[in-house]
Amino acid sequence: MSSSGRPLRVDAAVLENRVEGGANRRLALRVPGWPGFGPGQFVMLSPGARPAVERCDPLLPRPMAVYRAGAEREGTRLEILYKVTGRGTGLLAEARPGQRVRAVGPLGRAFPAAPAGATAILVGGGTGIASLYELAARASRSGPVRVLLGARSADDLMGRADFEALDIEVRVATEDGSVGHRGLVTDLLEDLLGSAGAATVYACGPTPMMRRAAELARSQGLECVVSLENTMACGFGVCLGCAVPRAAGGFALVCRDGPVFGADAVHWPSLP
Amino acid sequence: MDARVDLGGIRLRNPVLTASGTFGYGSEFEPFFDLRRIGGIVAKSLTLEPRSGNPPPRIAETPAGLLNAIGLENVGVEAFIAEKLPALPEGVPVIASVFETEVERYAEVCKRLSGVPKVVGIELNASCPHVKSGGIEFGQNPRLLATLVRAARRATPLPLLVKLSPNVTDVTETARVCEDEGANGISLINTLQALEVDLASRRPVLHNVVGGLSGPAIRPVALRMVWQAAQAVSIPICGIGGIATGEDAVKFLVCGARAVQVGTANYLNPLAALEVAEGIADYAARHGFSRVADLVGSLEAPGIR
Repeated sequence: MSSSGRPLRVDAAVLENRVEGGANRRLALRVPGWPGFGPGQFVMLSPGARPAVERCDPLLPRPMAVYRAGAEREGTRLEILYKVTGRGTGLLAEARPGQRVRAVGPLGRAFPAAPAGATAILVGGGTGIASLYELAARASRSGPVRVLLGARSADDLMGRADFEALDIEVRVATEDGSVGHRGLVTDLLEDLLGSAGAATVYACGPTPMMRRAAELARSQGLECVVSLENTMACGFGVCLGCAVPRAAGGFALVCRDGPVFGADAVHWPSLP
Repeated sequence: MDARVDLGGIRLRNPVLTASGTFGYGSEFEPFFDLRRIGGIVAKSLTLEPRSGNPPPRIAETPAGLLNAIGLENVGVEAFIAEKLPALPEGVPVIASVFETEVERYAEVCKRLSGVPKVVGIELNASCPHVKSGGIEFGQNPRLLATLVRAARRATPLPLLVKLSPNVTDVTETARVCEDEGANGISLINTLQALEVDLASRRPVLHNVVGGLSGPAIRPVALRMVWQAAQAVSIPICGIGGIATGEDAVKFLVCGARAVQVGTANYLNPLAALEVAEGIADYAARHGFSRVADLVGSLEAPGIR
């Protein structure tokens, strides 16, 4: 399922950058020469539109999952769903159509496809949902897919309508009960796994959510794949800043060895 | 434009190298540009045995800077020679950075790298600020530094650069030690020792507590140290510290650096080193220089020198 070419660096024109509910935003960029991407791959985005004089502060680009990509008049329309959480994403939210945002990607390893006949169960929490849309879209063309989305509140929930437009079953949980099940998205997973049969669980979201999803999958003898997040300076394996401990000892780089990992490869107690 | 420079016997097609630890082993950047278009690469520091580095968190963003304590994670000198060097295209000069915890081990790594194809020089990392032993101790103690440079000089016939620590009172003192002990050049500066705190948890942002600061924040400090060292020694200096553009690099050349290294900027912009090389040539052309080397030491500082 991972299909992508060499990563590129591009100053991409902003096509759209709009509020998606609460602090969530949808950014669309026009990228010439985009080589395609695998579900779960990411790009490094400059913190905000590039000004005339190079901005030094904040310094680092931010890793963002590629939400989806589509052919466009001059190149590819790349969509990113993100949440304004700090200075970098705050500046990104100020980028206006026509301004340019620097992107480096596609980067990282993509989600593997579920084995033939197995149901793909996608569990997304918060901004982790953004890593799963392309996987849902591709998996829905080859086999059964169940999508479970979780957020703090209805306002916080991103992407729901897009998933539903794929004509697949989507269930929702919010911590405040403002939409769907009141509670955690992993409650929905627990409920579903009892009757799932052969399945692969894909999880992306807060660490406790992924850890719980991995435990539930293991208890049913199912494979679980997670996508991790970390601070990174480069995104392509040279700063070595995004190391996480492996279950087997030593470190893996989230950018190069991941962000997609088999849940058993991750040393969960060490993750923040 | 003639951009060639000679860095202590290392002949470079242009004065732009990549700083150790910011360019991997080189091939990570091949998707982005032809590595033969820059002067060469300084690879990630090598130790005798592979090292797995420090536990996370390893990096943090600071105002106009990056704080890191990676802990010299590397594949070890043997895997570098067997796997990493062959993966690079012909015609990419490689300066191997060497780190160790004892003088004898430094010398052993230098010896192992001598005569290896593509390796055109060695840079002794005498200044890593974030490992438990070695590195910075050598860079801060002139007597230890003399012992180290002497041993490395005996161990290799390759051009020998020494990467010095900025975490000293007087950089001219350590620079002179390198010159006296037969080094062919000096690389300046390594990262500045620094600390940042997360107030939500009242913890240091790095697991290692202290890290090395790099990026635009340190550029004026680096420039000052390069200028001071250039007054004190006659061996060439490779300027390092927050260089992201051609104009940043020209400032170092003007202050006396023979060549420069691009570091943290490689992370933010994988084409940074190439753009710095192009930017230097642009500046030289716009200002009537036919040779980039003529920019070196051209600082107009009346009354000083």
